[in-house]
Amino acid sequence: MLELETASKRFGALAALAACTFAVQPGRLTGFLGPNGAGKTTAMRAVFGLVELDAGSVRWRGAPITAAHRAGFGYMPEERGLYPRMQVREQLVYLGRLCGRSSAAATGTVDTWLERLDLADRARDRLDALSHGNQQRVQLIAALVNDPDLLVLDEPFAGLDPIAMGRMAEILTEVAAAGATVLFSSHQLDLVEDLCDDVVIIDHGRIVLAGDLDELRAAFPQRFVDIRYRGAAPDWSALSTVVAVEAKDGEARLQLGPDTDPATVVAIARCTPGLVSFAFRPPTLSELFRQTVAA
Amino acid sequence: MSGLRQGWLVARREMRERSRSRGFRAGMAVMLLVVMAAIVVPSLLDAGKASSDVGLTGAITDDLSRAIVDHGDAVAMEVRVHRYDDVAAGEEAVRDEDVDVLVVDARRLEWRGEPDEQLGAVVTGAIQLVAVQERAATAGISTDDLAALVAPVPVENVELGRAAGRSSDDDLAALAMSVLLLMAITTYGNLVLTGVVEEKASRVVEVLLARMPARDLLVGKVAGIGLLGFAQFVLTALAALIATMVVDSFDVPAVRAGVLAWIVGWFVLGYALYAMAYGALGSLASRTEDAQSVAGPVIYVLLACYWASLVAIDHDPASGWSQLVSLFPATAPFAMPARLALGAAAWWEPVLAAGFTLAAIAGLVGFAGRVYTGAILRTGPTLKLRDAWRGTVQ
Repeated sequence: MLELETASKRFGALAALAACTFAVQPGRLTGFLGPNGAGKTTAMRAVFGLVELDAGSVRWRGAPITAAHRAGFGYMPEERGLYPRMQVREQLVYLGRLCGRSSAAATGTVDTWLERLDLADRARDRLDALSHGNQQRVQLIAALVNDPDLLVLDEPFAGLDPIAMGRMAEILTEVAAAGATVLFSSHQLDLVEDLCDDVVIIDHGRIVLAGDLDELRAAFPQRFVDIRYRGAAPDWSALSTVVAVEAKDGEARLQLGPDTDPATVVAIARCTPGLVSFAFRPPTLSELFRQTVAA
Repeated sequence: MSGLRQGWLVARREMRERSRSRGFRAGMAVMLLVVMAAIVVPSLLDAGKASSDVGLTGAITDDLSRAIVDHGDAVAMEVRVHRYDDVAAGEEAVRDEDVDVLVVDARRLEWRGEPDEQLGAVVTGAIQLVAVQERAATAGISTDDLAALVAPVPVENVELGRAAGRSSDDDLAALAMSVLLLMAITTYGNLVLTGVVEEKASRVVEVLLARMPARDLLVGKVAGIGLLGFAQFVLTALAALIATMVVDSFDVPAVRAGVLAWIVGWFVLGYALYAMAYGALGSLASRTEDAQSVAGPVIYVLLACYWASLVAIDHDPASGWSQLVSLFPATAPFAMPARLALGAAAWWEPVLAAGFTLAAIAGLVGFAGRVYTGAILRTGPTLKLRDAWRGTVQ
């Protein structure tokens, strides 16, 4: 388990991290969300000692992180980069060996991943001879060369085509299922909702929400009613329990006030003449995000 | 995972990748060719001049003609003599390059252009000898008496220098070393500089620093490039040595082993000190175009220190100033070997200076490591040293 405890970091007048506390569980995928400049990258860098915290700590399995721990971590920085003129395979083996692995062990892992990501025939090419998409794959392997216990990825889905995104999601799920702790940041909330077990939402350097995604959604006081209807949309906003309405082309999503009695949902259904279907739902991750970050 | 192992991995990568580049290999090949050519070509040209033609005209005895050939033999020069009926014919032969010099009446030498020193000495020596023999005969001195009279007195050359016990070869070695060190620092220090900037520009540095401390990365890089430079140096020296042995052009300087060991040691210390400074400042730039401008301070300090050492030592290697520059870490790599070669340093001085320089290198490693960590992840405009040190910029 990875834990940040009241982690704080200032850059001049800017508080990049303000007493951040959250935990990332092993065997689960954790999405790290927040607007640009919220402190995601700073928090991730702190895990690798790339940012020295002003206060607080980062702990791995209950102990402060040491160089020996980091040898078992994998990291994919937001700004991708490897040696452009170095051969792909040699470069990956080098990075694996920097983590303390033997040449044979690193080579074995690298070859397995090159094979899996269809790069085996490019192993001897220079990195800069590869397409952008293939370079992204090499970058992912660079984070996996030491079969990490903790995998931290900063925006791993940015710039990927849909097929590559699918493959990335598959690999992250697999690594987590094998017992590793996986934390990644993303702005693609729908994707995170589909993929992640846990989320951590950060805003202005503060953690505003963290935990099991389903539990967070259930615990959120706001409820939503999804309605499908025929004909003109009735004026739901007249109902006192309805806070906001989004209606378009026979589909509407009504936001109800906190702790609304489920009985009011029935009242909503009654005042919808051409009702096709309706459902009482907790917020989506996207709604959760907008509510917590805007607040 | 030890820092030593990681540092060695970094050093090995530097050596392997750099020695593979086409530019490096081409540069190396050109350098070897130039060094060998510089040694072999002059001696080939000299070899062509081993025989000479001398034109004779006017009042010239057979004795003189023979003496010229004998004098040539004595200095391993084959001399052929040609007689001309008059000066005009002889001068034409000089102009047509049939002869190298025309001897007129045993009193005047006529050349096509600038006189050839060696040939001039041969001919002049022969003229003097024959003239002395003729005068001796006139004065009634026998040949044996004459020989005893003009027998050369052996004169020994002794170089006292400014300090006792030094040899001129040590002196030469120290001078050559300080020039070489200056070249090595600027060449390989620049490789460290651009290497650091390239790693920052390509962003690979964040992947690396997530795995190892900046200090080890920098030390590994400096060591790798240093070893590569050393290998290049040894290769060049070997090529020069082989070329020298083949053409037998000049003697390899005989340097005292102790002085040589110190020279090599100071070479390593000097390179390490300045390369580390190059690396630290290189981390302030984000683009390769900015590399040279951030390295400006190192270059100014380097040149100032080189110059200060040279001036102080040349003036008086035993003065207080010389002692000071040979102890101060930034100037010691230039000044101390020179003072050692000149025999102007007490035994404890290089030991103390090496201690100071090692301490300065250790301090610089710490300083560079911190600046590097503080600066390496910040892209955009070139950073200020103070901000990088404080780590106050995002």
